[in-house]
Amino acid sequence: MIADVAIGIFLLAGLLAGIRLVRGPDLVDRVISLDAALVALMGAIGIRVADTGDTLYIGILVVIAIVAFTATVVLSRFIETTGRR
Amino acid sequence: MNPVSAVLVLLGAVVALLASIGLLTFRTPYARFHAAGKASPIAFLFVALGAALEVGWVGAAELAIVATALLLTLPASTHLLFRATHRTTSSSHMSRDDLEVAEAELAERERADGGGTEG
Repeated sequence: MIADVAIGIFLLAGLLAGIRLVRGPDLVDRVISLDAALVALMGAIGIRVADTGDTLYIGILVVIAIVAFTATVVLSRFIETTGRR
Repeated sequence: MNPVSAVLVLLGAVVALLASIGLLTFRTPYARFHAAGKASPIAFLFVALGAALEVGWVGAAELAIVATALLLTLPASTHLLFRATHRTTSSSHMSRDDLEVAEAELAERERADGGGTEG
C-alpha cells in the first residue's frame, strides 16, 4: 500500500522530469532531466526492494547509476567541445 | 514494510517530487541544476536507507555500494553540466564570473611553465 503510493510519487517525479525533457530550451536541460528521470527510476526500484525484500534488483541499481553517470559525462563533454546548444 | 522504512521511503519520494517540481519551474539553467543535482541523491539516499532496513546485512551492503556510487558520481556529472552551460551560453547576467578569472590565471601559469597538458 505505502509502497504503491511511494512508487506513484516517483512516477510523478519522473513524468515532471519528462516534461522538462521535452520542453527544455537547451541541450543541458534535457541532459539533467534525463538524469533526474533515471534517479526517479532508481528510487522506484529501491522501493520495490524495500517492499519485497528481494535483493536481486540491487544489481540493476548499480548498472543504472553507472550508465547515468557515463551518459551525463559524455554528453556534457560533447556540449563543451562542439558548442552546440 | 516496517514503519521506519515506510516513513523513509515516503520521505525519499517526496524529496524526489520536490526536485522534479524545481526542475520544471525554476527560470535559469543554474537554478534547475541546483534543484535536480542536489535533491536527487538525497532522495535516493532516503529510499536506500529504508530498503536497507528490510533486506538484511548483505542487501544493506549492496545498497550502500549503490548509494556511495550515486553520491560520488552525481555531483561530478552535475558539475560538468554546470561548466558546459557556462562555456556555451553567455554569462553577461552575472555580476562577477569567478570561473573566467580562474581559467585566465591557469592559462597564465601554464604559459609561464612553457605549456602544460591540456585539461
